Amino acid sequence: MSSPSRTFEPEHAPVRAGSAALGKNVTVKGQIYAREDLTIDGEVEGTVECQEHRLTIGPNARVQAGLKAREIVIQGSIHGNVEAADKIDIKKEAKLVGDIKTSRIVIEDGAYFKGSIDISKATPAAKPGAQPQPSTQTQTPPQPATSAAVGAGGSAAAHK
Amino acid sequence: MTRRSNGLEQFCAFLQGSSGLSILDMSGASQANIGFVTDLGHRISSDDVVGTMQHCFGDDFFEAQKAPSKAQRFLDQTLTFPDHSFDGALVWDTLQFFNGDLLNHIVGELFRVMRPGGLMLAFFNADEKTTRIPIYNYRIHDAKTLLLAPRAEIAFQQVQYFNNRMLEKMFTKAASVKFFLTRDHLRELIIRR
Repeated sequence: MSSPSRTFEPEHAPVRAGSAALGKNVTVKGQIYAREDLTIDGEVEGTVECQEHRLTIGPNARVQAGLKAREIVIQGSIHGNVEAADKIDIKKEAKLVGDIKTSRIVIEDGAYFKGSIDISKATPAAKPGAQPQPSTQTQTPPQPATSAAVGAGGSAAAHK
Repeated sequence: MTRRSNGLEQFCAFLQGSSGLSILDMSGASQANIGFVTDLGHRISSDDVVGTMQHCFGDDFFEAQKAPSKAQRFLDQTLTFPDHSFDGALVWDTLQFFNGDLLNHIVGELFRVMRPGGLMLAFFNADEKTTRIPIYNYRIHDAKTLLLAPRAEIAFQQVQYFNNRMLEKMFTKAASVKFFLTRDHLRELIIRR
């Protein structure tokens, strides 16, 4: 009689980086904490936190929740405040009602947004003898179905 | 289509002379306007009033808004901000699509959400013979220039003609109203709350 094969697994197996997803037929009520990239394409009510990772709200998603992540991409519908440490990308089919707090925002023509936008400028770590970095963002005329990133710079003219 | 705007120039001088202002944009949210205002260190809020009108009134804003239930539904979704929320408002040409009681309500709400001393930039058709106009999104190209982007999904709309006296009466509560003459058929106003 042969013994069943055994697979040796080391005690501290490395955690695989990946991404998680909630499909369009999934409904969640409550708090979601993710330590990897997360895509939501279903219904969520509550809060979603995805610190240090990207959160994607898919085209079928209906979210009534506050969202927090490093980066947030929005294609579906959100009622709630949205906070991203790095960037928020609102696609043309998105609908967002709520306040936004981020360092950068990209919004495509056609996207519906109602709320306020606070751009918080991230402070980079200073190097010895380093000169302040000038803003690299310039105003460009909007083009249909494309988007231009707006950075958190250009403040020299604003503060007198 | 680009358009030189003296009213915009004065509004932008106001933006550039201060920091940390809170600005309301009554056109659809756009990269251009968001970038322009936030790059100056200000906060911007967006309320797509024309989009809400289309949602509540359908293809004929002027007639449909006379229905009290539709007008109330519109008011329940528009300018739902706390009192004295804004230092400036980009009203664009939205007010000319209202008439009667709803116009009075909207102007009242605008004054409610504006802080005393705040500035509003508004446009009105200056051609008495023009009764229907296309709908535009107004994008700030620079401190003196606008880009007018047609909103193809919304039909031409009937507009009410306002002469100077009617506009002064509309903004009778304002601290001041400044008119700018333009070469095209648009009257620009800077209204100080």
